[in-house]
Amino acid sequence: SFKAGMDNLEATDESSFSVDEVSNIIKESVEDVIGTAHYSHNKVGQWTSSVIEQCVNQLTRLGKPFKYIVTCLVMQKNGAGLNTASSCYWDSQTDGSCIIKWENKSMYVIVSVFGLAV
Amino acid sequence: MQDEPVATEQPQQQQQQQKEGEEVANTYVIRPNFESKFRPLLAKPVIHEVLVERLTDKAYDKEATSGLCKELTDEIKARLRANGFERYKFVVQVAIGEQRGQGVKMACRCLWDSDSDNYVQDIFMNDSLFCVAVAFGVFHY
Repeated sequence: SFKAGMDNLEATDESSFSVDEVSNIIKESVEDVIGTAHYSHNKVGQWTSSVIEQCVNQLTRLGKPFKYIVTCLVMQKNGAGLNTASSCYWDSQTDGSCIIKWENKSMYVIVSVFGLAV
Repeated sequence: MQDEPVATEQPQQQQQQQKEGEEVANTYVIRPNFESKFRPLLAKPVIHEVLVERLTDKAYDKEATSGLCKELTDEIKARLRANGFERYKFVVQVAIGEQRGQGVKMACRCLWDSDSDNYVQDIFMNDSLFCVAVAFGVFHY
C-alpha cells in the first residue's frame, strides 16, 4: 500500500500547473489593484508590488507543491512599442507558465507566473 | 517466518549483504553546495555579454524586435546551460521597449527556497530602445 501511495504522487490534478486557475488569479489581482486608475509615476511602484503580492498570496492558497516566480510590468501608453519573450528549461510535464496582457485607457500591464514543480 | 524479526532489527546490515559487499552511502545531493549554486556574480556577465553583443547599435523596429526578443531569451538560456549549474531549472525573461519618454516599471517576486534558488538581471539602454533581461535559477531536488 506504501507503493501505491508513491505512484499517486507522480501525476495527479493537484500537482500539475493549472493555467486557468492561475489566469483567473492574475486577472482578479490586476482588476482589484489597478482597475480604471490613470497612470501615475508616483503610484507605479505601489501598484506593481500590490499586484504581485496579491498573486503570490492567492497562489500559496492553492496549496500545490510548486515554487512560483511572478513578474509584473507596467508601461504608460504613449504610442511606444513593447516586446516581451521568455524561454524556460524545465520539466514540461509538471511545470507551466501563464502570461496575461491587460490594459486600460492609460497603461499596459503584463503579468507572468511561472510554476516549477518541487 | 522467523527471519522477519531479524530483518527489522538490523536492516542496514541486511542491505549491505544484499549489495554483495558494496558500501551503501548517501550520495544524492539534495541541496547545492557553494560551488554549484546559481550565483548572480557568475551568471551576470553571461547575460551582459549577450545583450551588449546583440543590441549595441540596434534601433527599435516593430517587426524585427519580436524575433530579436525571442532569440535573446534562447541565447541566454543556452549560455547559462553551458556554464554548468547542474540540477538547475531556468526561466529567462526579456523585455524590449521603444524609448519615447514613457514611464515603465517592472517588478518580480518569487516563492522559492532562498538558499538554493536565485535570480540575476541586467538592463541595456541605447537611444532608441531599452532592454531588461532576467534569469531565474531554481534548484530541482
